[in-house]
Amino acid sequence: MSDVAHEEHVHESTGVETRKLAMWVFLSSEFMFFGALITNYLLFKGRVGYTAPYPAEIFDIPFTSVSSFVLLMSSLTMVLADHAIHRDDQRSTRTWLIATALLGMVFLAGQAFEFTTFVVDEGMKISTNPAASAFFTLTGFHGTHVLVGVIMLLTLIGISFRKGRLSTATGLNLENVALYWHFVDIIWIVIFTVVYLIK
Amino acid sequence: MAEAQTKAQPSPKQYVQIAVLLAILTAVEVALYYIEQAGVSGRIVYPTLIILAILKFIIVVAFYMHIRYEKGIIARFFTVGFFGALMLYTVVLGTFGVLTAMSG
Repeated sequence: MSDVAHEEHVHESTGVETRKLAMWVFLSSEFMFFGALITNYLLFKGRVGYTAPYPAEIFDIPFTSVSSFVLLMSSLTMVLADHAIHRDDQRSTRTWLIATALLGMVFLAGQAFEFTTFVVDEGMKISTNPAASAFFTLTGFHGTHVLVGVIMLLTLIGISFRKGRLSTATGLNLENVALYWHFVDIIWIVIFTVVYLIK
Repeated sequence: MAEAQTKAQPSPKQYVQIAVLLAILTAVEVALYYIEQAGVSGRIVYPTLIILAILKFIIVVAFYMHIRYEKGIIARFFTVGFFGALMLYTVVLGTFGVLTAMSG
């Protein structure tokens, strides 16, 4: 069955597996989505005259730097899982997938902690000022993307345990999940610089 | 097809080396943030931060997303989406004067 499916991919007119091409097109369209949210933040972060605090006043750069490092390292574990599946090394694939999911969860926990600190300790809610609204919308949507990625990773891990092996030919494709995960990482690279580091 | 791609892709050791490079670039970014806090002009620091972010972005896309090992159609789809969004939002930011404000 999987051989048949693999043969079908080879003969696709574009020369690229359709699911993979669809993932790239989807990710390409995501630039428009996150571009809008980042632009929205840049437009509103300079607007003064509203209730304080503003996001840039209360950023915890050391904490966010560690979160960024965690997400970067999750890209490493993800690419190692991708490399392992292409060698049909099921054990390593599973190990690296679990590591990636755990790192993703650590990042999400960090974001939940950051949001809680901002809202409870600093008093900056989504309705406090336009910059806060734009900040929570942008980072919230990014966090949602990470959450979706973690769910896909956990699904792959579940399939791996249930069936005993993962296949690149059928079902939820590890390579496509990896592409999605790296995309979430590159978006964070932009957010970390543009939102957190540049005033 | 998959076998041909695997042969051309980096080894696990090279992936780790790339990750170390990304970590170093991130550390430099954070250091630059504190250098700017210490009083160095943003006109020097901010462009450097943007260059470093672009560098990290390219490294991840090229080596971890394997775009340099893929067929041209994938790179074209990806770059059209990226540069389309970049141009659109640059125009929006320019229209609202944000780019002028950022450049000081």
